[in-house]
Amino acid sequence: MRPVAIVGAGKTPFGAFADKDLRALAVEAGKKALTDGRAVPEAIEAFYLGNFAGPEFTGQNHLAPYISTALGMTGIPSTRFEAACASSGAAFFQAFMGVASGIYDTVMVVGVEKMTCQPTARVTEILSEAGDCATEVKAGSTFPSLFAMIARRHMHDFGTTREHLSAVAVKNHANGALNPDAQMRKVITLEQAMNARPIAEPLNLYDCSLISDGAAAVVLCAADRARDYSDKPVKVLGVAQASDWVALDQKPDITTFAAVRGAAERAYRMAGVGAKQIEFAELHDCFTIAEIIAMEDLGFVERGGGGSFSAEGGTRRDGPMPVNASGGLKSKGHPVGATGVAQICDVVQQLRCEAGERQLARHSLGLAQNLGGSGATCVVTILGRE
Amino acid sequence: MRSGVVYTETVVHLAPERFAADVPYQVAIVRLDDGERVTARVEGERVSIDDRVVEAEIRGGITYFRRE
Repeated sequence: MRPVAIVGAGKTPFGAFADKDLRALAVEAGKKALTDGRAVPEAIEAFYLGNFAGPEFTGQNHLAPYISTALGMTGIPSTRFEAACASSGAAFFQAFMGVASGIYDTVMVVGVEKMTCQPTARVTEILSEAGDCATEVKAGSTFPSLFAMIARRHMHDFGTTREHLSAVAVKNHANGALNPDAQMRKVITLEQAMNARPIAEPLNLYDCSLISDGAAAVVLCAADRARDYSDKPVKVLGVAQASDWVALDQKPDITTFAAVRGAAERAYRMAGVGAKQIEFAELHDCFTIAEIIAMEDLGFVERGGGGSFSAEGGTRRDGPMPVNASGGLKSKGHPVGATGVAQICDVVQQLRCEAGERQLARHSLGLAQNLGGSGATCVVTILGRE
Repeated sequence: MRSGVVYTETVVHLAPERFAADVPYQVAIVRLDDGERVTARVEGERVSIDDRVVEAEIRGGITYFRRE
């Protein structure tokens, strides 16, 4: 296996864009990544698309060649990867292997989702198909309700509180307010976050991520060629994917995700680093409780300690372990198929010291954690400066 | 009738269209006495973690438990 670098990164803003269809979003992000990497479309040897439910949201299928040809790439392998909210993390993992193995020198990964073309009730229904439709979904579970049940049990077992959950929302909104590409650039107070209308108890509106349109893209190449494309290449030090039961009720303990622990362990081993060396992270805060549990499963804090660590400010930009300096899925937005690559773009931005007002003091080693469903897929990526 | 203990629960306020008429409704993961875990609806009085529940009925393809 040979070293791999990220030489180009690009994102669309996240939000509700009535005038941009799925392909327009994907092409916009892809072109930005090519420009950023000083790459021409002809240099790309394979195209990897992360997308969760384009056919259901938009009616269009066969999306990978539909997008790669519009980017000016013709004749190359173009494939869509689906792993719920971890779709583009999974596409990135496959793209990494394509370059690391020596099959390709230069590839592109795009993640995209177009969601706001459907009403909220239909979006909720499409998202719920990432759960077990024969059991939990049939009984009336939605994604907020699955994470609500996780939160209830975490509160019961570890004393996590309503205030701990809201501290995550307040922090991510404060970060997102400084991000020009974020969907909801709005600072919220702890009181607002704690008293919002209930969605699935104990989770309320401010515990839930957003319904978004958006796309993100990266160009990967063999590390020994990285300087041909970029003056600031970023090294992919470790990347791993793991899986678990789709149905929440089949997991013996729902306060921890085996797929996150498994992917983290392998990614740390590949990178030759431990949790304590990671300087900052973009974590999959689809719901506030998910960020708290990710902190624990990645080894940043002890089991059960994620809530109090967040409430004490440990994850703020000036804290010992900054998490979601981008605003996270909570404030930046969560176009589900775009999220995995968008997190990687946000880590790249910090590593290159290009995050403006959100720039972190320590920015040489960052981690991205992308979760699918209620923990059935996880991709962990560790990136570092050259 | 199957019975068991509530492992976790939630009350759903925002549901897909097919369940919209039911909100707010309670969903729980029940740890049955034989060790199996199932996701089901709860009817009647609200239940909490560690409460004992018993299967009440199957209606519209959905299994309902109630407080024992």
